[in-house]
Amino acid sequence: MKKKIISTILAVAMTTSLLAGCGSSASTPAQDTSAVADTDAEVEAKADTNANAAESTADSTESTDAVEAETSEPITIKFWNGFTGSDGDQLVELVDRFNSENEYGITVDMDITSSLDEELSSAFAAGEGPALLLSSSAYRFTYGQYMQDISDIFDKTGLDKSDFIQSYLDYCSEDDSLYLVPFQIVSFYLYWNKDLFEAAGLDPEKGPTTWDEYLEYAKKITDSSKNVYGSGLCYGYNYQMAHTIQRFGGLAVTKDSSGKWQANFDSNSGYADFVNTYKQLVDAGDNPLTDDTDSMMTAGQLGMTINGPWLTGGMDTAGINYGISTIPTGAAGNMNSCEVLGFSVTTVASDAEKLAAYRFIEWWNTMDANGTCPALEWSVTNGYPAYMKSLMETDAYKSNEKVMSMTNTDTSAPSDFIVDASFPGINAIINDVLPQLVQPVLFDETKAETALGECQKLADDIVAQYNN
Amino acid sequence: MQVRGGCCLPSNIKTGAVMNNNVMDKGNIIYRIRKYLRSAEGSAYYFILPSIVLLIIFSIIPLIVSFYMAFFNANMTLDQVSFAGLDNFKQAFSDKRFLNSLKVTLIFTALEVPIQVLGAMAIAALISKNTYTNKLFRAIYFLPVICSATSIGIMWKMILHSNVGFFTYALQSMGLGKINFFNDTHLTIFVVAFISIWRSFGISAIVYVTAIQNVNNSLYEAAEMDGANKLEQFIHVTAPSIRPTFWYILMTRLAGSLQIFDIIFMTTDGGPNYTTESTVTYIYSRAFSSSASMGYASTMSVILFVIIMTVTVVLYRRMNAEEA
Repeated sequence: MKKKIISTILAVAMTTSLLAGCGSSASTPAQDTSAVADTDAEVEAKADTNANAAESTADSTESTDAVEAETSEPITIKFWNGFTGSDGDQLVELVDRFNSENEYGITVDMDITSSLDEELSSAFAAGEGPALLLSSSAYRFTYGQYMQDISDIFDKTGLDKSDFIQSYLDYCSEDDSLYLVPFQIVSFYLYWNKDLFEAAGLDPEKGPTTWDEYLEYAKKITDSSKNVYGSGLCYGYNYQMAHTIQRFGGLAVTKDSSGKWQANFDSNSGYADFVNTYKQLVDAGDNPLTDDTDSMMTAGQLGMTINGPWLTGGMDTAGINYGISTIPTGAAGNMNSCEVLGFSVTTVASDAEKLAAYRFIEWWNTMDANGTCPALEWSVTNGYPAYMKSLMETDAYKSNEKVMSMTNTDTSAPSDFIVDASFPGINAIINDVLPQLVQPVLFDETKAETALGECQKLADDIVAQYNN
Repeated sequence: MQVRGGCCLPSNIKTGAVMNNNVMDKGNIIYRIRKYLRSAEGSAYYFILPSIVLLIIFSIIPLIVSFYMAFFNANMTLDQVSFAGLDNFKQAFSDKRFLNSLKVTLIFTALEVPIQVLGAMAIAALISKNTYTNKLFRAIYFLPVICSATSIGIMWKMILHSNVGFFTYALQSMGLGKINFFNDTHLTIFVVAFISIWRSFGISAIVYVTAIQNVNNSLYEAAEMDGANKLEQFIHVTAPSIRPTFWYILMTRLAGSLQIFDIIFMTTDGGPNYTTESTVTYIYSRAFSSSASMGYASTMSVILFVIIMTVTVVLYRRMNAEEA
């Protein structure tokens, strides 16, 4: 009997503790959010009481907040991202360095996962998850309600907002709210095989700058007897298609004069021009009809292709002698067709965790005494263009041929990727609409105009979801 | 019975008697359950309990939830949920891609199942005797079964790549022309079906081998005495004797083919031009890849579930009728 009583008590205790655990985790975001709101209100109130010295008061209040949070006990923040590749090793190394170097007692507990989406969705649904997240800015369309406005990071840290390229900040913003601080600019570039250029009698140091040149070079390079193709466009690579299509016909979804989203497929002569050009290349035998051009480029069978910086790893390993440049400008004019990956602070983060996350982001983007910083190291090591003007001015950056060839020196060029940067349905446009533009033309002999009409209907349905 | 008969007893005594009887009944039931669970037969439940728990958590509950979600519009994090009624079902039956995916799935099933069911039976008949060579072949046939779909997909992509594939190159060297295995709208579905058959052929063959080995040897001896050759023995003795196994493999392969996903996801991702996009591949893309429409994806899952269940029930009844 005694045993039964003891086991009953233990079972009740365990159940209670489980329920308590659930309760606290579920209520944390709400409590934390209110805590943040209180702090902001206090700051505003203090600033209002001394209007004549608003700036200095705000500064001192912020620094007081910071000191309050930072003089408290050491803090650990969860940091999730999906960098499972070799660059993940560098990320681990840099995070370890921050953990050992920082003076605030902050420990960044990083979790790199290949299923970030699935883990985030279940964690957020349970009121849990990381305080700091590293993801594509497109995540704000899926997890926007779990991301905090971090536009005050420039006030609460030493980061200089004007040093960041504005179009990248705009990419991560919604109205006046900033949801991500840029971490990596992911764009696609034109890669060419210098040896094949030379063999075709072309200047191996100069890639095509226009699409007419691209077609001309492709024809010269193609050698069917050696299984060599001049052009490497790939219908199965939706992102490559998106980056290229954008050069021809601009953005697929924009806002109309009334502020509503509109799809721009029907009668888009630039898009029609692209699919016809692609078909022409395939029919002429200058472009393989394949869903995998990476293998061919690393095998030395492609003269030119369009891809992300990750292609260079494979080409380096294979010993390909290659050049890089930005994608030739088409009818749509100068632009950065890119995605911006960035740091965001989630609603799971408490006030102190938010500040700790700010400190990590500040450390990442701040030059040390040796004139370097993690952002610069990341950029030159992994081959991603800089998002801060000061990084572009460093010798390490300037001397890196690869990143320099990827850099659009016109920092005023707009940054959007296939749709207006704030259109939430970007994934549906890329994955569901663009393939229906390209593939029917390539495989079913469908006219470009017909395909565009079908795409307009599909895109209209997608756009309508966000106009309601 | 005593209580029912005691109509003249005071009501309080009657009630007390009923209560006592109920308590006794309950006590008896609990006692019987305990006794049963302590018996050799009942203790089997302890062994299957972990499987039952996992089945409930990972199959039964998700199944019920997906049925429920089919009537809602829901995003991935399930925090924006609105009642959709039958709208998702209406949308599915007017969705060209969904209807196309059903067609692709049926074509794939029609290609894979007969070859799996009949081909594996023929192969099993050849390797059913326990010789060293046959054991080696069984191991070879079974090898792809234990490989992951990811490895298999990557391997075949490399072998059959349209330009840098080993097999493609070999065919070209032999003067057979350049075959674009993964980028031909008429050919690729056959390639995917072949890879899928290659992958799961071994398990069907091994099941058949076990069934063939259990056929009474005296039947073969009698057939031999009647002058039947090996082929006739197979047709008239082996095939009828392993009919339950045939129905079992037919049923499981049919259900498996209708759910084909991994091989397609790893090799073609539904291309070219959606000619290999199976229903599950499309459901996955709706749920996770682009619009994260969990409600709509659940609706399509329910439709597929109904199709598979109908096919399975029909075959199961047929199988039971055969056995009876």
